[in-house]
Parts: sequence; structure tokens; C-alpha cells
Amino acid sequence: MRTDSTGEYDAPERREITVTVNGEAVTAAVEPRVKLSDFLRSECGLTGVRVGCEHGVCGACTVQQDGRAIKSCLSYAVQADGAEVETVEGLADEDGSLHPIQEAFHETHALQCGFCTSGFVVATKELLEENPDPSREEIERGLADNICRCTGYQNIYEAVERAAAKMRE
Amino acid sequence: MSGSQPTEVAGEAEADAPAATEAGEESFTGTSLPRVEDHRILTGEAEYIHDVTPEDCLHMALVRSMHAHAEIVDIETSEAETHPECELVMTAEDLKAEYNPMPTGVGRIATGASGEAVELPEWSLADEKVRFVGEPVALVVASNRYAAEDVADLVTVEYDTLEAVADGMAAREDEVVVHESIGTNVVDHERIEFGDLQTAFEDADHVVSGEYSWGRISGVPLETAGVVATYDDETDSFDVDCNIQLHTLVDDTIYETLGYDADDVRVNVPADVGGSYGTKIAIHRYCCLAAMASQQLERPVKFEEDRIENLQGGDVHSSDREYEIQMAVDDDGTMRGLDVWFVDDFGAFPRYPINQVLKPLSVVTNSYRIDHVGYEYDLVLTNKTSQTAYRGFGVDPHIYALEMIVDEAAREIGMDPTEFRRRNLITPDQMPYTLPSKNVYDSGDYPATLDRIQEIVADERDGGLLDPDVVAEKREEGKYRGVQPSVIIEPGVSGSDWTDRQRSNREALDSRSREEVDELPEHLRAELREDGTVRAYLATDSSGQGHQTLVSQLLADELEILPSEIEVDYLDSVDAPTEYGSAASRMAVMLSGATVGLAERLVENAEELAADGWGVSIDDVAYRDGGVERIDTGETLSLADLAELDADRDERLTVASYDYDHPALEREEFDDALRRKLPVYPTAAFGANAPIVEVDVETGEVEILKFHTVRDCGTMLNPTIVEGQAHGGIAQGVGAALLEEFGYEEDGQPQAITLFDYLLPSIETVPEIEMEHTETPSPYTETGAKGVGEGGMIDAPASIATSINAALEPLSVDEPADRIPVAPDHLLSKIREAEE
Repeated sequence: MRTDSTGEYDAPERREITVTVNGEAVTAAVEPRVKLSDFLRSECGLTGVRVGCEHGVCGACTVQQDGRAIKSCLSYAVQADGAEVETVEGLADEDGSLHPIQEAFHETHALQCGFCTSGFVVATKELLEENPDPSREEIERGLADNICRCTGYQNIYEAVERAAAKMRE
Repeated sequence: MSGSQPTEVAGEAEADAPAATEAGEESFTGTSLPRVEDHRILTGEAEYIHDVTPEDCLHMALVRSMHAHAEIVDIETSEAETHPECELVMTAEDLKAEYNPMPTGVGRIATGASGEAVELPEWSLADEKVRFVGEPVALVVASNRYAAEDVADLVTVEYDTLEAVADGMAAREDEVVVHESIGTNVVDHERIEFGDLQTAFEDADHVVSGEYSWGRISGVPLETAGVVATYDDETDSFDVDCNIQLHTLVDDTIYETLGYDADDVRVNVPADVGGSYGTKIAIHRYCCLAAMASQQLERPVKFEEDRIENLQGGDVHSSDREYEIQMAVDDDGTMRGLDVWFVDDFGAFPRYPINQVLKPLSVVTNSYRIDHVGYEYDLVLTNKTSQTAYRGFGVDPHIYALEMIVDEAAREIGMDPTEFRRRNLITPDQMPYTLPSKNVYDSGDYPATLDRIQEIVADERDGGLLDPDVVAEKREEGKYRGVQPSVIIEPGVSGSDWTDRQRSNREALDSRSREEVDELPEHLRAELREDGTVRAYLATDSSGQGHQTLVSQLLADELEILPSEIEVDYLDSVDAPTEYGSAASRMAVMLSGATVGLAERLVENAEELAADGWGVSIDDVAYRDGGVERIDTGETLSLADLAELDADRDERLTVASYDYDHPALEREEFDDALRRKLPVYPTAAFGANAPIVEVDVETGEVEILKFHTVRDCGTMLNPTIVEGQAHGGIAQGVGAALLEEFGYEEDGQPQAITLFDYLLPSIETVPEIEMEHTETPSPYTETGAKGVGEGGMIDAPASIATSINAALEPLSVDEPADRIPVAPDHLLSKIREAEE
């Protein structure tokens, strides 16, 4: 972002924040109006955070903040100052092996275009942390805030059930 | 069922390791090989266009019209230009000086009130007048998107507002004319008759008629449009990275607008696109504007459409139709004739989807034998955003309207609607079946499919969701259950030649020679590499269909290697030939045909190369297990050896391409359709749905309790991908039937500009889908596959609508589902009408 300004123009005020993102502390000066989703994508390079509507309906931008799944397009980066944020990039092991939820989505063909997938994977993580063996109804409630336009959700149920089984093992 | 093998797929979505784990051992094709695309997506590493941001990239924002119809009096840009972050402001005046109008505007087809051709340019920014809410009026460029929007806010546009027209039927009256130079809103019209329609209607025992509405809907992919354009001053050329669909076909919309040759505008689409469903064919406006801005600034310019821009003025709405349809029918249940009239509201500028009004001719009578058909449309312009393609490409509303009139005809003659349908089904002994409209259905047993879905319904009636006791109990609570299946066809693998019918002299088509027909093949290329792997290159783009997986499977089988030894990449618009690409349920057939052909060529080349190397005749070598064997000595050359051997040759044999011809091109069955530029779709996938619906007569809400479906798309190359396509299509069909609509106020103000108003189906509203498959191979295609991408969206809305009719039959509600979407308020008013 360009910060040099000329003339009478008041450059937007910036605030320094520190956010722990996928285990690493990131300190940056940001405009208060910058959304958390944009901060994660632009400042942290975590483009796995997808932006689909910017008004909190589609859930593609879902991340975990202090363990809770939130829609990162609905909060500002400054609100995450001091918080721990986990994105889809934080799920796989360092050696590249997939998290059981990611494995399950792959094995059950629970993604097509994949634009919603980061959000679904993170939402599933929260769901299974709270409820390791959800019923179909509980899966429905747990994922009702995420939209998938490709799969018709059928295989997403399968993926969540398979992931739950893997994680209980 | 001859040639069919029923296979239960539902509930068996296990993606276990494929049957073949060693190269050459068994076939990968036909197995549910897990997708090669998934890993990068699941880890967040996939790079969609929104993720592409070159270091010195600037960002574009657009100033858009808030009025549906207005004269632009003045655009004041000076305040914006003094903003320190502002790099550029452009209006129509600026771009008209250097560039061209977008080439797909109304100018190509419009005829004035007195029949003369009218030129009417569509500029990338509104020129002198705005014609829909959201129409871009000015572009601004700044260092980041936040700043760009600040700058855009400083552009002041003064308007003189005009009365608007936002209803297709009203627009036909021409009280408000969207384009004065044409003098009418009806910019295209055609009536085509097949058979002896007049006699059929005069002789029939009954003529029933109905009026049905299909509300404006669209694909609404989760990823909006995006482009990064880079102008290179040294070469005077552009790189346009974007998520346009069909980038090797529609790149003319970009280079012609810029005023450059095709070779000077390299359109490149990332391997991952976040859904399109047809809609992104029409995002060229953004590509052009970003490219122009980049040329002015000599810096890369990026544009990411936001969701509100996308919904209100993104040029991506789709079919918006009013139908008047008549059926001639005899007392014995024979369908004698069908006469279809409709108006399609294209918004302010008609673009490619003009073919959407014609595609239904490819399945004009659906699964029924009806010999006499009339087909007529008015294509009108209104003060709404322009239409684009959407999954089904106009077939979905046609099938819906047709199934509605079938229900109505059954009521008129007092026959059970399923029995009425059965009596008129095209039978296996009539295959291949030539429709009155000259397209040909390739294969299938429609009566058997109807029988199977009826067995499933019978099971539901026997202790299931439709058990008479349960149904009676539910009615006490004001909840009415019902189901009405029918057999519905999905036309696959569009030809390309017919798609300029509207721009042709239609009177001359009857005498057109067959030799003039020219179809676009599907191009594929590959190279053997010195590390022993194979790299294939698609000449099309993908948006979730799994094309990389499909090519890996097929190529692995043909070359007797493992899918993991194959990489699949994409060609840009300059490196690829002009070709059709991923649309119109084409790729299963076209890509598999191209892959098989390419592999044969590679095998021949490998044998030639090896024979040369050994100095023996080609008959003395044989391709086997991913290499070539010298028969007399048993020596072998691996693919790696062959690539090395080939490296120094001038004409490389380990690099090959193949162009798979369209399957209809050499078949005389299609001569009439091809010659007359009638829609040509040589595969007919089909299915029968039984959505068990429950209507709450107190609220007008419809719940689908379960969605049964029996489907056949010929040979399944990857059953899991096939199943996924059906799931997704059905879910979009549920949205179309019950939830989605781009409503407009009379003054042209759009009412659905967020996802709070445009309701996408969620995990809560999509029912459980229980699916079975049969496999009737297509006799016309290389692999027996049929097109499969659009089926669910084509058949689900009609099936849901007929099932709602059935559910409310006991209350004698007059055609409750006469409007799509079947929204609660509309349904409730129909129920109230019946009560009075």
C-alpha cells in the first residue's frame, strides 16, 4: 500500500496491531477500515481466505479467531489486535500432510470449484471441536452459515462424518 | 434395459483407491479416481484470479449508475483527479477516442422499426445515457481498492432521469424505448413451424393453453469476476489474466474492443476458477476496462468485482421469460401438437445468450413424441442489466413450461398425469429419434426410467414419506405432500455452427448447402518429458469440473502409465487455437474424445521414434506399459528415453496435438439440423426425478423432504464427478424453483443486490438427494459418454413444480406452480384463490 501523500490530503490514520496468525505473530500498521479478510489476504499473504460476498452470507472467508469460527469479512483487522487467528493454511502439517478434515473432503469429493472450501473446512473444524460425533441435523446447523454453489452439500455431509470418524480414532 | 447397466451410486460415494493401482493393470477410466485438483484447493494454495497481484499493481474501481434510465448531463471528475491516490479517471468520452465498442452489442443483430439494420454500439462505459442500475459510467484507478473507492466517490455525475421499463411484456408496447435509434424494444423475433401444426390443432379433441413465468435468475458463483491486465509498451501487447469462461472462444470481445489483433492480447485463465456455470462468459467489460487503464498508466491494473456490483450490474443475470404455450391433445391421451410462444427479457444489451432462446429446440418436445410443433419468441430489451449464459442455457424454463402444460392437458382429459406422460414417451425402438426440430436423441430407454422412478415412488407410498396414513395426518396439520415425476432430457455437446443463426439470413438457410457447415473441434496437446512424465495442455478453462483429473485418467489408460505421472496444464488464448471450450455439457465428450485421439497419436509417434532409434521397421516395435519394446530383442525405451532421444530432432515426435471433431459433423442424421442452423446437440442424457414436496398451506412454504432421481448420461468416465455434477445441478434447480430471483421495482430498481435478498440454497434448504444411475452409452461419441454438466438444473425445477401441482391437487388450486420461483407469497395467494 502507498503511504506517501502530497498536498492537503490527510493520509488515512493507521494503527499498529499484532495478530498471531497460524502461530506466528504479525505486526503491521493498518487503516482501521481494513477488514480482517483483506488484512489476512494482503498483509499476511494468506489468500486461502476467500472473499465471496463481503456481507457475511457466504462464509467463504471463515477463519477461527481465538478458537471461534468468524466471518473475517465482517470484522476489522484492528479488532483482531492481540488475538490468535487460524486460517485454512494452518491446518495441514508442516510436512504437507493434510488435516483429517482436508483428507475427508478430498476422499468424498466434497469440493468442486473450491472457492467455498476454505470456509467449509474451517467451519467443520469448529463444529467437530465442539461436537466430535455430530448427527446430520447437527451438521446442517453447524454449516448453515456457509454457502457452496457446486456440490449440493451431499458430499459435504459425507466429508464431515468421515472427518469426525478419523478424528475420533 | 438394452445396453444399460443399472448401478447403484447413491450412498456409495466412497472414494476408495481406484480399482487400478498399477499402470496398465486395469482401467482408471470409469473409476472414481479422487481429483488431482483438490490438494492445492484444500490447503489454500490454489491461486484464483483474486489472488493474483503483481508487485506494482494498481487497483480499479467503477462509478456506476444509480438510475435505471437517464441522460448523462455531466460527469465532474476534477475533484477525483486531485485526490493524491488517484492515478486515472476515464469516462466514455476518453475511451471512445482510442478504443472500440464491445463487439457483441445489439448492433450486430438489431433491426429498426422498418426492418433496416441498425448499428448500436455498446461502449464499456455508458455513453451519454445510462440504461440500467449499476451500469459503469467511469473508471478510476488508485494504489489500492480502498483508495480507489474513495476516489470513485469523488466523481459526480449529473443525470436527467427518464421513465424506465423493467418488465419484458410491458417493454413490447414500446411506450418506453431503451434504445431510441432502434425505435423498438423487440430486437429479435422468429417463428418456426415443424410438421403440420394447423391440422394438428384443428383435428385434436382438445387444445389446452397456459401462461407461465420464469423469474430472472443466474449462476451467482461464489467467486466474482476478476482481472489483472498488463500492457507492455515494448511489444505493444496485453496480458489479460482473468476468470472469463471460454477464453479461447470469446477473446474477440476483448481484443476487438481494444482494437488489437488476437495475437496481441494474451488472455489467460488460472487453473482454478471459483465457479461460473456459464455466467463468466460475459465479463469482458471488466477485462477491457482494466486493459485500457493499464495501457494509459503502463502499470498492471487489477479489478475485483464486489458482490453488490455482481448482483446489480455485473452483466450476469440470465433467462427472464413469460411463456404462452398450447398443447393439442386427444381424448385417448395422444399429444398431437405443441405451440410455444415466449418473451425473453434480455436487459439493456443482448449479448451471446441470444442463443439461449433457440437452444430449447434441441429438446423441443422433451421425452415425448409430438410431431407438430410451433416455436416463437420475442427478444426484448429493458432497463435491466444484461443477460448471460447460465447452466441449462434457456432449456430449463422451456422444460418447466412444457411440463406445466402436460399437467394441465392431463387434467383436461381426465387422465392420470403419469399415465398420460407414459403413453407419449419416445420408445427405445424409435432411437435414434429425430425431433421435429431436427436434433437427434442418440439412445436411451425412457419408459424404463419412468418405471424405475415410479417403483421408488411406490416404495415411498408404502410406509415411506408418502404413506397414505402419514399423508392424511399431515394434511390435518395443513401440510400437503405430493410428487409428480417425468422423464427429462439434457441436450449435450453443442455444435458451434448453429450459434450464429440470429445473425444469419434465416430465409436463406433452407437452401444452405451441407458443405458450408463448419464446426469447431476440441484441441488438446501433450509432450513426453525427459523425467518420464507427460504434460498435457487443455485449450479451455475449468471452473470446478475436474478436467485435469479426467484427462489424467484417460491418458493414463491410453498410455499405460499412472495418473500421477501426468500433469495437466492450460493454454492461453494466443497459444490455443480458437475453439469452443467448456460449456454446453461438452467436455465429457469432447475432452475424452480428444484425449483418446491424442494418445493414439503419441503412441504412433513413440513407436516411430523408437524404430528410428533402433534402425528397425515400425512393425518390429510395440508400445507397451508406458514404453516401446523391440519385439525381437525385448529391449525397451521408456517415455523418458524417448523424450531424450527426441530432444535434438527438428520435428519433435514426443510433442503432439489432436483436434477431436464434433460428433455430429460427419453424421448424416444431423444433416438437416446442421444445414439449417438449428440447435445441434448429439447426446441426450436423461433422467427422472421424484422430489417429495410438502406444501404448508398456512405459510405457502414448500419443503422438499427428499429428492429421488434416476439418471443416465451414457458411459460414466468418473462416477463420482458425474454424481457431483448432478448434485450441484439439482441444488441449483432447487434454488431456481423455490428461492432465487432478481426482482425489480417498476422503476427499474433492482431488489436483490445482496445475498440477503438473492437467496442461494444452503445446506438447510437442499434436501437429501437419493440417486441411481443407468449407463446407456452414446453411439455417437468416442467413449460412449454423454454431456452431463447441466442436467440437474434443467430437470429439477420442472420436477419440483409438477410435484407442487400434485401436492395441491386435493385443494383444486389452479396451477399453483405457474410462476418460478414458487415463492410463498405467490403460492399462498393461489391457495387463497382456490378457497374462495
